[in-house]
Amino acid sequence: MTSISGLGSTTERSGAAEMRRRPRLTARWRARLRRTGLVLVSLTLGLLAWEAISLLIFGPFLIPPPQAVVRAFIPMSASGELVHDIAMSLSRVFVGYAAGGTFALILGLFMGRIRLLHDLADPILEFMRFLSPTAMIPIVVIWFGIGEVAKYSLVFWGTIFSVLISTIAGVLRTPRIRQNAALCLGASEAQIFRLIVLPSAVPYIVVGLRLALASAFISIIPAELLAADSGLGYLLQQSSLLQQTDRIFVALVMICAIGFCADRLFQFIVSTLLRRYLAVT
Amino acid sequence: MLTRQRRPAAAVGHMTVDDGPLPSASPAAKPKVFTIRNLTKVFGDEQPYLALDGIDLTIRSGEFLCLLGASGCGKSTLLNLLAGFEKPTSGELLYRGREIAGPSKERVVFFQDAGAALLPWQTVQQNVEFGLRLQGLLFSERHQRAEECLELVGLAEHRHKMPSEISGGMRQRLQIARALAVDPDVFLMDEPFGALDAISRRRMHGALLDIWQRTQRTIVFVTHDILEALVLADRIAVMSAGPGSRIAHLAAIGLDRPRQPGDPRLGRHFEELEQFLHTTAPSA
Repeated sequence: MTSISGLGSTTERSGAAEMRRRPRLTARWRARLRRTGLVLVSLTLGLLAWEAISLLIFGPFLIPPPQAVVRAFIPMSASGELVHDIAMSLSRVFVGYAAGGTFALILGLFMGRIRLLHDLADPILEFMRFLSPTAMIPIVVIWFGIGEVAKYSLVFWGTIFSVLISTIAGVLRTPRIRQNAALCLGASEAQIFRLIVLPSAVPYIVVGLRLALASAFISIIPAELLAADSGLGYLLQQSSLLQQTDRIFVALVMICAIGFCADRLFQFIVSTLLRRYLAVT
Repeated sequence: MLTRQRRPAAAVGHMTVDDGPLPSASPAAKPKVFTIRNLTKVFGDEQPYLALDGIDLTIRSGEFLCLLGASGCGKSTLLNLLAGFEKPTSGELLYRGREIAGPSKERVVFFQDAGAALLPWQTVQQNVEFGLRLQGLLFSERHQRAEECLELVGLAEHRHKMPSEISGGMRQRLQIARALAVDPDVFLMDEPFGALDAISRRRMHGALLDIWQRTQRTIVFVTHDILEALVLADRIAVMSAGPGSRIAHLAAIGLDRPRQPGDPRLGRHFEELEQFLHTTAPSA
């Protein structure tokens, strides 16, 4: 027994020594390769499962197999209709998200800082945040028709709550002693807000904006389903009426793909521009 | 304004430790920095808590005073009052003859949690420049001033690092450099070395005494560690346990520095102080 455990520890030790001798870059590349490999395996397994479910269980009409989706995708992208729908959806997401994010960020900063404003506005927000963008579609259509403003306002609605809540939390959780330290170095209220509170809240704000981005993509589809003449939601709706399941799947895959890319882009921008504010204290 | 007040670090830099002021031979001659008379502090309205009850203390210019007491006795409350973060409920609290209206860069506070007190998104150098930036100093001026201060605390070679990349002791020295940059009159230190390991702590005591003797600031240092107080202070004010805490004992430590923790003369003071800490702790 003792000899076995002794042997085990010896191998571990020599293994550790070997790790140390190896250049660090190689170890990092190996980890990266491993991750990429696993992603590829995961996607392949997913495609195989999709194929199997399609062909063996539901049949190619209810769930078109991957190759049917690709076959439908080629003419749709060649004719430009897919690009147009994606561009329409993206522009709505972008406008609604930018407006909602900015509005909620500014309101959140003030609500976190001004007690009275917080106490007055918070109950209303807590009450209203259970209204999903979908629930707002009927009234928004009456207010704004089925034009672009209606889509912007629905994405706006889907964006504001998570940004508001996380911004308020970030402002309120700015360490008291950091503010006190700045006070006795001679900072004014405005300087504390700009130079201490705002940067301290960045990690929270980033989390809120990222959640809101996903929520913006989720909000736009129902809006386009019910009241639109373009966009990915409209494509889904039209394909459903014509029972074109392969086109529906093209739209679904596109929604996943652009959402994923938008999130990656968001993370890239944040980690490039705001890296120093995200460092752990 | 700043240039007039500034004691140029370069000019005092050549002094050795021995040139520093001795523990005030005639303390009464020095001007009073803080005058505290019958000071009371009550927290809360519905369930009032009497934190401080009748504090009397005078702190003079250039003095190193330790506030010693058990946890929760109100040492930090007293320090926050001196800083201006809190207002006294009754009694008199004067800084250089005037009532304390609020925080001021004359009286800079040092916190135990330097990581939270500093700006983690700025480099060591930018942290030191922060106070000067608040005053609207030009880049070149504040750059030079910050370098002097970093030199003084021995952090010059780490100026491009982030606070998260330096040790806890270095972060405390960074807090000191940041304070020195705005040229304060008083250091108010709230258990600044409480979170450090024993070795870094002793090293920081040496560094702090060195800076104190070179820059001749008044220091009020809160601690619950008798030995730390003995190694550092000119005078030690022992506070009784709360509620209704007051100064139970005031001891003058007239020994030369640097003081060795093993010195038998410190041992005698230790027993005397411990007695006061213990007799007052549980009775309340």
